[in-house]
Amino acid sequence: MTTQLSSGAVGRGLGDRVILAATIALAIVMVLPMLWAVGLSLKTNAELLVDTNSVLKAPWTLRNYYDILIGSGVFRWLLNSIIVSVGMSLGVLALSSLAGYGFARLEFPGRNVIFVLVLFGLAIPEQAVILVRHQLFSDLNLHNTYAGLMLPGMSAPFGVFLMTQYFKAIPTEVDEAAMLDNASRFKIFWRVLLPMTLPAQATLGIFTFLHAWNDYWWPLVSGTNEQMYTLTVGIASTQMNFAESAGLGYLMAQAVFAGLPILIVYMFFQKYIVRAVSGAAA
Amino acid sequence: MRHLLATLLSCVALASCGVRQAPNEIVVQRFFGTCKAEYGNRTDVENAEGECGIMTTLINRFSAENPDVKVRVSPVAWPGYNQLAAQLASGDPPDLVTMHLSAISDYQSRKLLEPLDKDLRAVGVDPNGFTAASLVSVSKQGQIYGLPIDNWAPLWHINMNYFRQAGLVKDGKPILPRSPEELLAHARQFKQATGKPYFVQALANERAAYTRNLYTLLMQQSVDFFADPQQVKLQSPETKQVVAMFRQLYVEDLTTKNQDYAAATNGFINGAGGVYLVGTWMIGDFDAESRKAGRPLTNGYAVMPWPQLYARDATFIDGHAWVMPVRDRTPRQRDAVFRLLKFLADHDFEWSRTGHLPAYKAVIESERFNALPHRSEIAKIATTGMPLPSAVQRQFPVQDIIGEEMAAAITGHKTVDAALADAEHRVNDLLFHLL
Repeated sequence: MTTQLSSGAVGRGLGDRVILAATIALAIVMVLPMLWAVGLSLKTNAELLVDTNSVLKAPWTLRNYYDILIGSGVFRWLLNSIIVSVGMSLGVLALSSLAGYGFARLEFPGRNVIFVLVLFGLAIPEQAVILVRHQLFSDLNLHNTYAGLMLPGMSAPFGVFLMTQYFKAIPTEVDEAAMLDNASRFKIFWRVLLPMTLPAQATLGIFTFLHAWNDYWWPLVSGTNEQMYTLTVGIASTQMNFAESAGLGYLMAQAVFAGLPILIVYMFFQKYIVRAVSGAAA
Repeated sequence: MRHLLATLLSCVALASCGVRQAPNEIVVQRFFGTCKAEYGNRTDVENAEGECGIMTTLINRFSAENPDVKVRVSPVAWPGYNQLAAQLASGDPPDLVTMHLSAISDYQSRKLLEPLDKDLRAVGVDPNGFTAASLVSVSKQGQIYGLPIDNWAPLWHINMNYFRQAGLVKDGKPILPRSPEELLAHARQFKQATGKPYFVQALANERAAYTRNLYTLLMQQSVDFFADPQQVKLQSPETKQVVAMFRQLYVEDLTTKNQDYAAATNGFINGAGGVYLVGTWMIGDFDAESRKAGRPLTNGYAVMPWPQLYARDATFIDGHAWVMPVRDRTPRQRDAVFRLLKFLADHDFEWSRTGHLPAYKAVIESERFNALPHRSEIAKIATTGMPLPSAVQRQFPVQDIIGEEMAAAITGHKTVDAALADAEHRVNDLLFHLL
């Protein structure tokens, strides 16, 4: 018995080490291009035009970051991205929670059909509807407004599905107990059930925020006024032609700069993001 | 509940925020990047460098000289046509837009651009003053649909130090081939003498370069491959011969391989080969490199148009123009647009310092233009340059398709015949399905 245990422990130790080594190797593969991008961002465009390996040698400079901060409307675009991402996340949370509660708890005619229709939304790619959506928003005069940038992302079939499943997992006895205490339907939803769905809300909120922050296609065609650019679109607009050779340092600084807010979000919400990803996988 | 309601109302108010255009304001949408850190408020155009610097200072100076006009510059990610299409669809296009000459047909054919002849003449810009290459590029159905900014063409950027080593220099000038056979012979001679490939080419992500070279060599043979603007003909013996020549260069390692644009540019600067096939815009960078000590291009850089390999001296050209999308404008906005166009036309020399060819005969013939480094060698493109026929639409995707198929033939993934048949089929399919 003892022998079996120790050989198992040794086997597990070896296995762990192999997994750890593989993880480190993969992490290096993942991190190196990012470090290379950071390195490139600290060199002048002129140096990189001649030799990209100069990244390994001094001098380094913060000039590219200075150019981004001083030379563009980056703070306006940052603000726009924050408004759009936060607004969209709040909207998705509100709508998905209400819809999820409805599908999970309320009996109404056509409930299953409507739920299936909502789920169809998961299968329709954005590109398939973008023309019609663009025309619709145009008719409603919503382009170049925050509403125009936020509203399309608020129809979130995944969010409705997630919240429906989450509400379904909460025993109905909880509702019944609250009803016995004379609570209204809204009060049960707002005060009792919603707080119980916080883990799902965190998952959904984080995913929505990341999606909204990184979105490029819709903001590109809806927020066409420079004052309404989001960070992704604004930063792309500052690139000169053939930036990949003549403006490589600046290009990389843009990439680093655009990624920083997400990195900060990740640092603060790391626990929730890991839980969200593993929860989604489960 | 009140807090919730107040928050919701605030959100709605914020969400409906947008931007409106003032009656004296014009929106100028352009590519060429932004460089406000260096040129944000500067108006000294003469001292500005590069596309972004010169364009920014030009518009700054116009604004300074025309305080009654508000110019809102809206830079877009290159080339900006997705945004423009969206703006046109929503009825809110800008007042002026930078557009490639080869893209004008796409918009003009759908009546999305205003003809400019009358108003340009009214402010003193005579289209007869445009170079032949520019005039034909902005003329559609007998009217002018853009103010040309420049022309550019694929050029031969030459490492003269290697050419000297290979015995391909005479009287200080590069010896250039005069036939496809001579080109191959020169390339072999070059490789033998220097150990380097004759050509440096950016082919991994810049396949349109193949197409531009093909267009050039077909134009030199007077092959009318777009006789019908909706049907390309690419299976001619002349086309096959050109593609076969590039295939031969590839097979014999007479060209660099598998390089993207950045790698090829970097490679040429660091002495990877003899001739870099790229456009006008790199002249300034390579010239600066040739003035540094101890570099492969030191005192050894020349630039030439595509050499004449066939009966006709011709080079495919494209370029940039300002176009004016159709929309309602106040008289003040309209007046401001044409004042700005006149200003930009008057300052075309400044733009030509970017390396692009001027769009005006007076500039290209001027002493100060010809005094710029290497400009006199390429000035003839203003007369030998040829765009595709103006009625050909979707020229960008057409370039990509032909370039893809040429790449397949040159690298040996398809036979030349199969690749050209596929290219022809794909292009014609695209053009057949135009709205």
